[in-house]
Amino acid sequence: MVQKKDSSEKLAALFTLKIGNISGQLEEPGREFFCADNKLMDEDEVADLSSEFVTLITGLLGSKDPHKRTSPQFHALETFFSGLSQRILMRGGNVEEVVRYAQQLQYTLISALERDSGIAFTQSRSVLLYFAQHFDALIMAIFRTYLVERENTLKAQEEELRETSTPIAEIWDGVLTLPIIGTLDSSRTMLVMEALLNRISKDHARAVVMDLTGVKNIDSQVSHHLIQMVRAVQLMGADAIITGIHPEIARALVSLNIDLTGVTTRASLSDGLKEAFLRMGIHVSQKTN
Amino acid sequence: MAIAGVHLTRIGKGDFLFEPLSSMNIQDQDRLILELVEHLQQGQGRRLYYDLNTLPVIDPVYYGWLDSLARTCQTLNVKMICINMQPTAAFTLSQFLAGRPVFETALGIPD
Repeated sequence: MVQKKDSSEKLAALFTLKIGNISGQLEEPGREFFCADNKLMDEDEVADLSSEFVTLITGLLGSKDPHKRTSPQFHALETFFSGLSQRILMRGGNVEEVVRYAQQLQYTLISALERDSGIAFTQSRSVLLYFAQHFDALIMAIFRTYLVERENTLKAQEEELRETSTPIAEIWDGVLTLPIIGTLDSSRTMLVMEALLNRISKDHARAVVMDLTGVKNIDSQVSHHLIQMVRAVQLMGADAIITGIHPEIARALVSLNIDLTGVTTRASLSDGLKEAFLRMGIHVSQKTN
Repeated sequence: MAIAGVHLTRIGKGDFLFEPLSSMNIQDQDRLILELVEHLQQGQGRRLYYDLNTLPVIDPVYYGWLDSLARTCQTLNVKMICINMQPTAAFTLSQFLAGRPVFETALGIPD
């Protein structure tokens, strides 16, 4: 209400303005930020973008309460900028380009309205303030979209990493192998455990060979998780065999007083597989002529 | 066979399948164990398959019940085998279990 009382005549004139064809003038920021070297859009797309923006801003300025940022007209503008932000990010652009486009669009819009109407909008503090407040909110919408997109990308990357860090393979009916490569930390061990237990349940695996050949370091917490993993596998009714324990890891396990009672270990993956086959009554032999 | 809160089925010579229902009250374990022992003795039970299929989590209280049951079975020369343990249950149980449990585990009832 206070804002309305302070509104100048020029602001009142802005809301009753019959906006002419300013769409062409508003294409310039689009060309500058999206059609230059980065080629994020072509000229036709920029023209459509400007035209859509003019329709939406005309709708807002001519609405019942142009100050209200919860109106459907303003929401439509927010959606417009969110969509634009999403489109640009998907095409390899960055959020800075969209923000700078929105800022440039704001200045160009005020100048274009001034030229079109002959009213000195650039001289009016209330008009400038009105647009600044609205464009700030629109820029926030751009950032929100950027953050959501970034979060989605991180989630997808995390999921991809999770899949590649737990390459569980069914090497024989009921025999799973899990080569663990790289550094084992607590969160990764938990991921591996989750994936492995679900896979045992899904495939009804009777033996799991966990190969640690690619693991160079292990700490107290991780070694406990590893033993927990073996226990969980056994609790599900499958046999767990650990293979490829490096001398350093063997020493670490001993010095950490890790109880390996009931845990089957073998020197190499091949020995582990032989043990798994033996337990399942599978006999693999070389064909002789 | 009638034990309140439990489905007990004879599935072979000396083999019994124990399926807990949602109405089973483990606070009343003395009665449950007593009735079960009677059935196992009458049926000359050798193996008791405890189906954990419907149990998403095994907490220390539930593990205490399984442990008591398995120890009782041991005194009767009946082997208790927990089957169909869910990944989440195996995970939670492995968190607080120090050694191997008294009961055996299997993926399911052997063919």
